[in-house]
Amino acid sequence: MNLDRRHFLQLSALGIVGTLTDIACSGRRDRPLDQPFLIATLGPDRVRELGARYRAQTPAENTADALRAALRNRGGLFAKSLDEMVEDDFAAGRVVLVDGWVLSLTEARQAALFSFNRA
Amino acid sequence: MHTDATTLPNGAVIEGDLCIVGAGASGITIARELNNSRLKVILLEGGGFDFDQKMQDLYRGEIVGQPYFPLQAAALHYFGGTTNHWAGWCATYEPIDFEKRDWVPHSGWPITRADLDPYYTRAAPILDIVPNKWDAAQWKNGDSERVPLISDSKLMWTKMWQFSPPTRMGQKYRAEIVNSPNVHLYTNANVVEVEANESVSAVQSVRIRGFDGKEYRARAKRFVLCCHSIQNARLLLASNRQAKAGLGNDNDVVGRYFMEHFEMPCAELALTRPESTGTKLYEFVKLGGTPRGEIAVTPAAQREQRILHGTCSLEAGNYGDPVLSTFQFLDTATMNQQRAWEKAGRKGEPPSTKPSEPPRTKGAPRFYHLSTRQEQAPNPDSRVSLSAEKDALGMPRAKLDWRVTDLDKHSMRTFYHLLGREMGRTDTGRVQIRDWLLSDDKTWPSFISGGWHHMGTLRMGTDPKQSVTDPNCRVHGISNLYIGGAAVYPTAGAVNPTLTLVALSLRLADHLKAST
Repeated sequence: MNLDRRHFLQLSALGIVGTLTDIACSGRRDRPLDQPFLIATLGPDRVRELGARYRAQTPAENTADALRAALRNRGGLFAKSLDEMVEDDFAAGRVVLVDGWVLSLTEARQAALFSFNRA
Repeated sequence: MHTDATTLPNGAVIEGDLCIVGAGASGITIARELNNSRLKVILLEGGGFDFDQKMQDLYRGEIVGQPYFPLQAAALHYFGGTTNHWAGWCATYEPIDFEKRDWVPHSGWPITRADLDPYYTRAAPILDIVPNKWDAAQWKNGDSERVPLISDSKLMWTKMWQFSPPTRMGQKYRAEIVNSPNVHLYTNANVVEVEANESVSAVQSVRIRGFDGKEYRARAKRFVLCCHSIQNARLLLASNRQAKAGLGNDNDVVGRYFMEHFEMPCAELALTRPESTGTKLYEFVKLGGTPRGEIAVTPAAQREQRILHGTCSLEAGNYGDPVLSTFQFLDTATMNQQRAWEKAGRKGEPPSTKPSEPPRTKGAPRFYHLSTRQEQAPNPDSRVSLSAEKDALGMPRAKLDWRVTDLDKHSMRTFYHLLGREMGRTDTGRVQIRDWLLSDDKTWPSFISGGWHHMGTLRMGTDPKQSVTDPNCRVHGISNLYIGGAAVYPTAGAVNPTLTLVALSLRLADHLKAST
């Protein structure tokens, strides 16, 4: 399944968005919210650790619900893919330092969601 | 012409039109420019034609303030000076380096980059590099992988380096100097004092002393001090019989604003797609090898963020590898091995100047160590003064009090924030800033390191209360005394000083010729 914005809008029009929200927000790579693309670069263990650190340094986002809500609010249902959100974050300076890594706010939250998954 | 000064009788007087003190990059450059001219040029070199431990020990000094490399190993004291062991890294200063920046206290040169451009062109062949070829696109060399990592960025760009072979000026230009009809080189001629007239408005002579206790003088119409930045300041401060604070030091500026370039490991880069990301442009091949790029912060970002000028190098490695600063990886034993290899005619493989690297994983490297090269903010409290200890010639040794500022570390950290943003925006990779850089702005690690680049101490400017030399490198208030070398730099720029030093020396030589 390759869910780009055009497909997403088509599905939205058909009223089946709700069940696919987690996937849709992750953009063209049909990843769920808790599967940041960062895993391919840094590996799952390190991303899980970064996610846990982000939750520790951001107590208000220390639940999966809070993180999902933050991600959805940021992206907007019809706005941008996660890839685009990450790019926009970096361009606008919406970055967070987690263990020294300069991460976009979006991918840091994704990593935090991922950290709830067991290894 | 050449004379070993030890053969002169005690009390001998040498006379000429121009006396150059120090035969390193600056002194040799000026002497060559005046070769075959009408001027009778005296070129005084403290050392001989080869390394001599006894001579080198004259450079030993006291270190207070931030830890620093042993001074007697940081610069060389024989014909050719420190070009006898420099690594040949050449790059131009950028226009912003010459500007007065309101966020960098004491910044601003009295000359512009445009003033220096023709001299950069002339300096290049002296150091055996290609003139006017400083854009990354000019060094693609037909290789599609030799391209900038980040393009179309308002924050970062790729600054190019060329590598001199490295030119050993003492070897390359020795015959030309020795055979000159009007330049007379004196070796083993250590100047211990600059002597002024009664009103201390002009220099009359320099006093030379040998290890055997004999003394000589050189008299000339004009003098140029071309020792390195610490020794030039030391010599003026020690010339304090007529001016209590030292020559040219009426306003207590001599020796101040000592600057280095920070050369320290600061971050890691993890590439998003290592297999398809070309990094060849940034590879360091070997001494004298293919030009290389470093990622630099743009002038616009410097202005917006109010930070200093810096670059970073990329070196492939494993995540978590120990990475050393410049002062850590090149110790005096390694430098001596390198010297011995060169003396033996550079036969075989050169001795390694880096510790053995851990084995890398197969395939295109994902991780790169990022090391900073950055100017330090000019700081009047960072200074060279005189030690109570004297050297074998009875001259007070130098005392180095290297000090850094909050802006230095803040700039370094901001650089990697910006780089992290750009690497992320372009999805090139992600940057991790090292712990030591994330702490407060005042705390520095034990491995704080420069690059043996001594600058400042006799800074150039228009206001005698804020500077030592005028825009023509003449010492304020002394009509016939000039300074050659990096001592006159008001700010350090982000890159190594030698190319700019040679360019400035050519400019000074033109001034000396024009004002004859």
